Amino acid sequence: MPDPLLARLKQLIVETLHLEDIAPSDIPDDEPLVGGGLSLDSIDALELVVRLEKEFGIKISSSEEAKSALSSVGALASFIRQRADPSRIGA
Amino acid sequence: MPETPASIRIAAAGCVTPFGNASATHAALLRGECALHALPVRGREGGDAVPLALLPGRDLDETAPPSWMAAVGALVEGLPSGDWGTPSRPVFVTGSNFGVGGLYALRRTGDPAFGVWGAPPTCTEELRRALGWGPNVSILSLACVSAHLGLLEATRLIHAGLAEEALVLSFDFLSPFVTGGFHALKILNSGFPAPYREGATGAIGLGDGAAYAVLSRDRGDWRLEGQSVFNEMHHFTSNRADGSGFSKCLDSVAGSTRGRKVWFKGHGTGTLDAGRMELDAAAKAFPEAPVVGWKGSLGHTLGSCGLVEMAVAIESIRTGSAPGTIGAGGAAMGPGVALAHFPTGPFDGVVCASNAFGGAHACLLLSHA
Repeated sequence: MPDPLLARLKQLIVETLHLEDIAPSDIPDDEPLVGGGLSLDSIDALELVVRLEKEFGIKISSSEEAKSALSSVGALASFIRQRADPSRIGA
Repeated sequence: MPETPASIRIAAAGCVTPFGNASATHAALLRGECALHALPVRGREGGDAVPLALLPGRDLDETAPPSWMAAVGALVEGLPSGDWGTPSRPVFVTGSNFGVGGLYALRRTGDPAFGVWGAPPTCTEELRRALGWGPNVSILSLACVSAHLGLLEATRLIHAGLAEEALVLSFDFLSPFVTGGFHALKILNSGFPAPYREGATGAIGLGDGAAYAVLSRDRGDWRLEGQSVFNEMHHFTSNRADGSGFSKCLDSVAGSTRGRKVWFKGHGTGTLDAGRMELDAAAKAFPEAPVVGWKGSLGHTLGSCGLVEMAVAIESIRTGSAPGTIGAGGAAMGPGVALAHFPTGPFDGVVCASNAFGGAHACLLLSHA
């Protein structure tokens, strides 16, 4: 069964970073978000972090923590499940 | 890269940090003291506690005129008298932020008194008038290598015969706008900086700082050589992963150190990747040089760091003792990192380096003339 959190994160990535030529379903679960096929840089990562903090009520306090959380969409989903209130994650 | 200018003399230099003048700052670093304290990142508006080093009696929040004006005035009282701000004795004012906190304060409060301090030209004009300087005052800003750029341009002007002497003033005082910005970038957080310490996460601290140097073609006890400013033009906030930007800058001063024994005063803010790359580059360019970084105590004084820390390096050579790296206790990133203070007598000089957002790098060789 598809993971709804993964799908939600992929949608959020496309929207936040205005990735016009990429559909959420194009983003692999396990590819690096920064430095991978999406060509995201550290500024994109920061923008994403700010959006994630607002969306899920989590706190990412250092650039190293951000790098670890954004190592892939799968890693990001795990990170959010560990940090966010379940009510912010939804079904 | 443009040709490195010939050497220049430093006729006078000084700094002010939360510890006091250059001598007091040097002494505090020798004792291993830390000027950083955990303070709310947005001043009276609160926020996360982050490591900041403010001048005694100064709040983070802006005032108009700024609360740091008195410190700058006191700093330059020690200047050799002269007609500063004239064609033969120009002034270079350098910094990263100037009074930018005034813009945020203007937006928050609506008080127009903050406006004049918010932009470098008007801030500098206020400073020029308050200090009684003539109109030959230039503003230079290149993030955290601003001070180096000022020294380099002043050197070129003197060697071109366009000035007899030049004053370089560099200052950066914290405000909620600046601290909030670094906090938003996720590099200023609750962790205290540990320059060149191996670990899973890095952190920086920020500090108030101001310094000056009077440059002269042939007057003064100190000599600057091998000045270099280089921008790797890779990315706004990160360096080339191979560290080549750091090496390109240091290689240009390595020629001046050939046959001489030097120690290395690094930039060392406490971030991990940049710290590793800087150390690797320093080890390649100056294999025997002990490396020190003082931002673990003073915090990063941003645009003024090159000149503040050069003033401390002068004290180190003058007194015969260089403070070790503060805050790096534990496993250092490399064997060259000096954790304890050491005698400067056996060395011919010190290479002082700074690095900045946007991939700018700068360095110089300082020695006793």
